[in-house]
Amino acid sequence: MAGRKRKATESANQPNKMWGTSSSSSSYHHHGSTSGGARRRGGSSSSSRKEGGSSSGRASSSAIDEAAALKLFEDISDQEDPNVANMEGISTLCEQLGIDPLEDVRVLVLLWKMGAAKKPAEICKEEWMQGCNNLRVDSIDKFKALLPSLDVGFLDREDFKDFYKFCFQFNRQGTHKTLEKDLVIALLPICLSEGRVPSERLQSFCEFLETTKDESYSKITLDQWRSFLDFCYEVEDLATYDESSSAWPVLIDEYVEFMEKKAKDGKKK
Amino acid sequence: IEMADRANGNIIQLEDGWNNEIKKRAIDKLEQTLDNGFDTAFEPKEYIRIYTTCYDMCTQRSPYNWSRDLYQRHGETIEQYLQNTVLPALNDKSGQGGTILLNELKHRWTNHQIMNKWLKKFFTYLDRYYVKHHSLPTLEQAGLRHFKDVVYENVKEQATGAIISLINEERDGEIIEKSLVKSIVELYENMGLGGASLESYTNDLEQPLLDATRAYYARKREDWIAKDSTPDYLIKVEKALAEEKARVTEYLNPASEPKIRRVVEDEILQKVQMNLLEKEGSGCRVLLANDKSEDLQRMFHLFSRLDNGLQPMASIVESFITSMGNACVEKRQAKLDGGEKEKNDDPEFVKSLIDLHEKYLGVIRETFSGHHLFQKALKNSFEVVVNQDVGQYSNAELMSTFCDRVLKSGGEKLNDSEVEESLDRIVQLFSFLTDKDLFADIYRNQLAKRLLNQRSSSDDAEKLMIAKLKVQCGTQFTSKMEGMLNDLAVGNDQKSEFDARMEQHDTKLSFSVQVLTTGFWPTYKTPEVSLPANMTKCLEIFTEWHDAKHQKRKLSWVHSLGNATVKSIFGKKSYDLQVTTLQAVVLNTFNDGKTFDFNELKKILNLNDITLKPLMHSLSCGKYKVITKTPANNKINSTDSFTANAKFSSNMRKIRIPMASLDPSHNKNRVEEDRSWAIEAAIVRIMKARKTLKHQELIAEVLSQLSFFRPQPRDIKKRIEALIDRDYLERSAENSDMYNYLA
Repeated sequence: MAGRKRKATESANQPNKMWGTSSSSSSYHHHGSTSGGARRRGGSSSSSRKEGGSSSGRASSSAIDEAAALKLFEDISDQEDPNVANMEGISTLCEQLGIDPLEDVRVLVLLWKMGAAKKPAEICKEEWMQGCNNLRVDSIDKFKALLPSLDVGFLDREDFKDFYKFCFQFNRQGTHKTLEKDLVIALLPICLSEGRVPSERLQSFCEFLETTKDESYSKITLDQWRSFLDFCYEVEDLATYDESSSAWPVLIDEYVEFMEKKAKDGKKK
Repeated sequence: IEMADRANGNIIQLEDGWNNEIKKRAIDKLEQTLDNGFDTAFEPKEYIRIYTTCYDMCTQRSPYNWSRDLYQRHGETIEQYLQNTVLPALNDKSGQGGTILLNELKHRWTNHQIMNKWLKKFFTYLDRYYVKHHSLPTLEQAGLRHFKDVVYENVKEQATGAIISLINEERDGEIIEKSLVKSIVELYENMGLGGASLESYTNDLEQPLLDATRAYYARKREDWIAKDSTPDYLIKVEKALAEEKARVTEYLNPASEPKIRRVVEDEILQKVQMNLLEKEGSGCRVLLANDKSEDLQRMFHLFSRLDNGLQPMASIVESFITSMGNACVEKRQAKLDGGEKEKNDDPEFVKSLIDLHEKYLGVIRETFSGHHLFQKALKNSFEVVVNQDVGQYSNAELMSTFCDRVLKSGGEKLNDSEVEESLDRIVQLFSFLTDKDLFADIYRNQLAKRLLNQRSSSDDAEKLMIAKLKVQCGTQFTSKMEGMLNDLAVGNDQKSEFDARMEQHDTKLSFSVQVLTTGFWPTYKTPEVSLPANMTKCLEIFTEWHDAKHQKRKLSWVHSLGNATVKSIFGKKSYDLQVTTLQAVVLNTFNDGKTFDFNELKKILNLNDITLKPLMHSLSCGKYKVITKTPANNKINSTDSFTANAKFSSNMRKIRIPMASLDPSHNKNRVEEDRSWAIEAAIVRIMKARKTLKHQELIAEVLSQLSFFRPQPRDIKKRIEALIDRDYLERSAENSDMYNYLA
């Protein structure tokens, strides 16, 4: 999937950073997950990822109560722009679902499945309605019932790559094309939880990011973000890494160098 | 009586003809002759008689046609003679020393040739019909065959041994009977099957000789290598090879020449090649260090005989030259470490590299016959040395300044051919530079200075240098430089036209303008200084004239570059001050004894501190203090006040008041930026053509397209990433190693 050129648009005043330091929501206890209800498995339904979504007027073939879904949206939509729900509203939804918008990856999964791809840190009305239709939800209870299915452990590699890319895109600030390094360090463990990537690799990479003094890495590009995952899939053993023939971004080359130096220093002791 | 008989048609009986005629008159006589040791020819009468007898016996009608019997008996005769007479004689002589046997063999072989000849003559008729008819060996061949089977096969081993001993004796310096050996060699040559074949020679003599040669030279090698220096050893090699070659010419078959040569080369050169090259105190490196050209030349010629014999030598030459070059670099380093002030000029260093290069160009040409491996060695070593920068200023800059010295007036004092030679040599050195684009940038700046300050000693020399760079690097590399020269040429052409225009106005100033095309020249600051009215008028005249000619061009005045001659009167004396335009503007301000302080001047002239301070410094703190500064010290402060120096005087009438130039020196960042751009342009160009490409191939293609600098692979990768970010390229979804071009 090639990166799409995003038109420069204004980003409204909203707390864009969901993860990391500045969010003001407090943490919540997890409610017990409810059983029953329609459970949706990991999404190979591609329609939920299309940009701009279709209009919500499909009453005849719809399996949900559109009015109810719409009401839910209105509860969380932004006061100044009723067509979008930003992070404030999404946090409210999370509260109701009993999940922590700061730490819980299921929020991102949900938004991804609903197809909130148009702009970072928000979901628009069309996307919401399309998403509700696809996921067959129109009430908080149904959302709650959905929670277990938001486990990305079920996804195959290709689908997960798509989700992983969404994580980056969704967390950008406005029209920026990159993420701040600190955000990346916080975000990676959340997106790549549950053994998607060997924990040692994840930890050492974050350590590398933290300690590198290279100014050019204060911002991380989408290419670097995606390459990290592909790199983890393809290069399990760092000893086999050959920089001279590698097409991996220089960030990865320097990470490997960092690890080699660490190993050498470790041996000296 | 017998002849009469035949005439009467009497048949010759076999035994009769054989015993009474042939055997008695021909064979016995022949054998006797041979025993006596001289070749008594048969008289024509005798010969004809014998011949006729044979003829008759072979042409008689059957059952009296004795062709077959005669043929058989011919062979038997020879065989018996060889068995009964020749072989015992030879066996008799064996064990008495090689020469004796060989002499006997020679004698017997000579005899056999005589015998063969006569018998052939007598029995010629058989050769004509019987032999052909029955596809049998000719008489001569049969004769040889018998000699081979009876004599040769039994004696060849001893003979070979004897010959080899003689040859080894000759190798050791003894004199031997060459003609004897030659005769025996001819015997071997003739013993080949089918006549023309050298099989016997090759197997029975040549091969043992090659083995013996190998053993001989192996011993010699061990002996020499332990005691001799490399040059002495090689002299011996040369001598040995010459001797062996002469030997073949004198008494061996030519086919042996290459074989013997290869054996000798193998034993005394190939097997000790590295030993010779690396011998302590006399190996290749030592010879180079001591300029032993004769020894090196010998070494070169000898090693060129071997397969891949020159590469090890070329490697040593390369390493040697590199170390010599590194020594020059280290010397420069030591100078700087010793506290010498860093300048962008180090002619000693540059010259030392040039001299080193010239020296070894000559060595390669004369000592190594210009061989390509050595040319490559020189190139490789200089590519390493020339790119070792030491200190603040890169070698690219030092080399450009070196050119500046040659090209500017008041620099090196050289005649035309010396100039050409210097430029030629610096361009050769330049060819090894990796950062050619850096050189170009600095060179352009220095060229601009020369041209604009009229400090170039010769227009032709400038053109010559640019032409040489063009040959090295192509048109694109020199296009800006040529543009600069062209601007000046155009200016010159149009000068008289503009001068005529100036005359129409009365400005009291003589004024000329040089128009520079943006992009060719370095970028200069254009301070918007407030000019006096008369100068402004001149500008207006020019602008009007210029705009009429070129409507689409826009002029920006670069006052920081101009020059002026200011006629000034101090007291009663008048002087011509040669100053920059800005200095002239300042001086003009102080007419009529006015006094200004620094800040006032800033306002009046509309100049900032950075520009005004050095200006005032040059006029009030330098050698010619035409402006008096209060307080009088060497630093310009914003509280200083200035006025014309009424007491100024000098012996000279024409005075040049220098000033530190205000234009920027070369911008390293700009070179870096240009490089990033060039890399990206190359990537896009390549990907556009290829649509999809593997990473390593892309890197290789990019490197091959960039001729004026050599980026690190990581830098290229960073540009690739930047292009991915800007959606020019994408990584292939199927293969993480490949890129796709995004249209």
